[in-house]
Amino acid sequence: MAGLAGCTGGDQGDGSGGGGSGGDGSGTLEIVHWWTAGGEKQALNALLDGFKEKHSDVQVNNNPAPGGAGSALDAVVKNRVLNQNPPSTFQIWPGDALKPYTDSDVLQNIGDNVWTEEMRNAYLPGPKNAAKPAGQFVAVPINIHRLNNLFYNTAVLEQAGVDPSSIRNPQGLVDALDTIAQETDAVPMAHSTQDSWPTLQLWETVFIGEQGPDAYVKLTEEGTDPAQFRDGIRSALRRIDQYRQHFNQDAGSISWDQANGKIVDGQAAMIHQGDWAAGQYVSAENFNYEGEWNMVPFPGTQDTYSIVMDSFVFPKNNPSPDATRKFLSYCGTVDAQRRFNPVKGSIPPRKDVPTDPFGPFLTSQMEDFQSANAQPPTIAHGSAVPPEVKSSMEETFAAFNGNWNVDRTTQGIVDALRQ
Amino acid sequence: MRRSIRRLFGGGSGNSDDARPDGGTVTTGRKSALALDGEFVQSLPFWVPPALLVGLFVYGAIGWNVLISLTDWSGLGQPDYGSLDLSMYARLVSDQSFIAAFRNTLVLLVAFTLASLLVGLAVAILIDRGIRFENGFRTVYLLPMSLSFVVTAIFWSWMYNPQVGVINEFLRAVGLGALAQQWISDPRFKLWAVIFALMWQFSGYCMVVYLAGLRAIPTEQYEAAKVDGASTVRMYRRVIIPQLRASTTSAAVVLMVFALKAFDFLFVLFGDTPGPAADILSVMMFREAFSTTNWAYGSAIATVLFALALGVIAPYLFVQYRRGEL
Repeated sequence: MAGLAGCTGGDQGDGSGGGGSGGDGSGTLEIVHWWTAGGEKQALNALLDGFKEKHSDVQVNNNPAPGGAGSALDAVVKNRVLNQNPPSTFQIWPGDALKPYTDSDVLQNIGDNVWTEEMRNAYLPGPKNAAKPAGQFVAVPINIHRLNNLFYNTAVLEQAGVDPSSIRNPQGLVDALDTIAQETDAVPMAHSTQDSWPTLQLWETVFIGEQGPDAYVKLTEEGTDPAQFRDGIRSALRRIDQYRQHFNQDAGSISWDQANGKIVDGQAAMIHQGDWAAGQYVSAENFNYEGEWNMVPFPGTQDTYSIVMDSFVFPKNNPSPDATRKFLSYCGTVDAQRRFNPVKGSIPPRKDVPTDPFGPFLTSQMEDFQSANAQPPTIAHGSAVPPEVKSSMEETFAAFNGNWNVDRTTQGIVDALRQ
Repeated sequence: MRRSIRRLFGGGSGNSDDARPDGGTVTTGRKSALALDGEFVQSLPFWVPPALLVGLFVYGAIGWNVLISLTDWSGLGQPDYGSLDLSMYARLVSDQSFIAAFRNTLVLLVAFTLASLLVGLAVAILIDRGIRFENGFRTVYLLPMSLSFVVTAIFWSWMYNPQVGVINEFLRAVGLGALAQQWISDPRFKLWAVIFALMWQFSGYCMVVYLAGLRAIPTEQYEAAKVDGASTVRMYRRVIIPQLRASTTSAAVVLMVFALKAFDFLFVLFGDTPGPAADILSVMMFREAFSTTNWAYGSAIATVLFALALGVIAPYLFVQYRRGEL
């Protein structure tokens, strides 16, 4: 009966969202996500269009919970999961960010009916591991952003006479920033400290650049005593304290995308950001890849591809098990990832997605990914540590953003990771 | 309600038998108890549903929150009500984040309330001097109050911008460039910047409350003070302001309760982690509950906030009660 009611709606169900009444039949897929900004929204719509083409019997209730990086979604989804009224599926970072969910056993094991042999063979190891944080497959990663990028405005760097690809390590970047400061009027390094995460992600990238990805992965693993890495932690903080002399003055009053805008208008030379920042360059006029802007891996992390992913999961007590299974299976296909990722500005976690819909920048990122020696997860974006640890790290860096006290922050990081 | 209950019991003993407000005609001496029961029963539909709803959703929720704070519930399972203890409160006391947030909350409470009251009083007195365009000014001062915190937080983050923000631009323009600061990123100023912005938003409300108080003072008192040769300052200090005690109390209670709930402004500016310099209890409560799923710990913080709110409002209600105004 309920199934019938769901089927009669046909393949409609645009992005009107809103209601959130829960699935009202096995044929309605309620999807909760935070992709409401420009490109993200279009990427999700492209994905849903593809899904509706394949499964016209499933109605889609697109129910966004706007708020950057899930700040609002977290509260909505956790409440609904606790009330045993979860949506059909929701967006979440894979990896350790799933720990509260797997600890409480509220996610369905999808190792059999979604993660088929074919899918397991096609996925790259980094995303595949993140999909099974507690041993069983519970999530389907759909995209990969790279975190360890150094974006730059080519004109400014030419004026300063700095060749970014020749900077070999985080220490070398300090010298390059000094040169830019001397030779140009531009801010050498754009940054935002209004939120804590841009500095946190900069720290983890510098740590990888100085200590290598293996040390970083060890540091974030459960059961490691972080104190043995104390010197490395401190050294990376000290490096950031050196970079800080070259930040834009208003770093504390602007958001990351405002900082990124300084690259576009030539006020700043470089910025460290995930490759979601490139969306802003692409949409800017007369600002082209390899012409006006370019990117190198953050100095010292040339062979590393720090991955930031999004995934969808299958909550238990599911209102529409059948539709959810279909959707998750679809997310794992070449078709879904080819539609979604070029628009989102990310690369697919499957190896066999053709590169032609991706622009030159993403194609180059895909090549880097294939040849990367390490694909470490991230603290700032939830996949490397449980939310509890991430929150303590953010508190530590919120303080560091104000007092720049290297010793106290070192201790804060050690304490946070020990939890 | 208390009065009606008293009347009920008084009536039950049979010594008050005056006209029924419902105009009933059956009331005789012998049947009075029954009739009062009838009145009581008839009144039930009017107050029982709201009482139950408020009881359940306000007091029930508060009680439940306290109960949760006694468990050690975290994660996405269900709470275990079997073992209740005060371990969450013990954890609060030794948590540096909590101590910082508690201190900031108190600073915000006191400084914001005092500043808003003073500015509100000053503006109210100026407006009460019979200036031109009085209504216009009143609207201008009250307007910030009508804006959402999300909007004002974004405004102020622009104004506080150290490079292009109005505040530093102004300081530089008048030759005080040395005072220009990183207002919302330097831990020394962060909280004060927030307090200043909130004061801007709420002093208009204080102005309205004070203005009403000032208007209630008869003009004769101003004239008498003048005739007695009091200067304007002296007149306000000795004659007018002492009569504004009721306005001050009610405005202060509203401001203090608001200060405990100030969440939106900080959340918009800094997300759920403002750092030790500007963290307050309500933001910390949100962070513990929804970012890290420490429900019991978040509930314990909520209980502390509730106790603080009660500490603000209970003396006020008690005084009102003593005066018979409740």
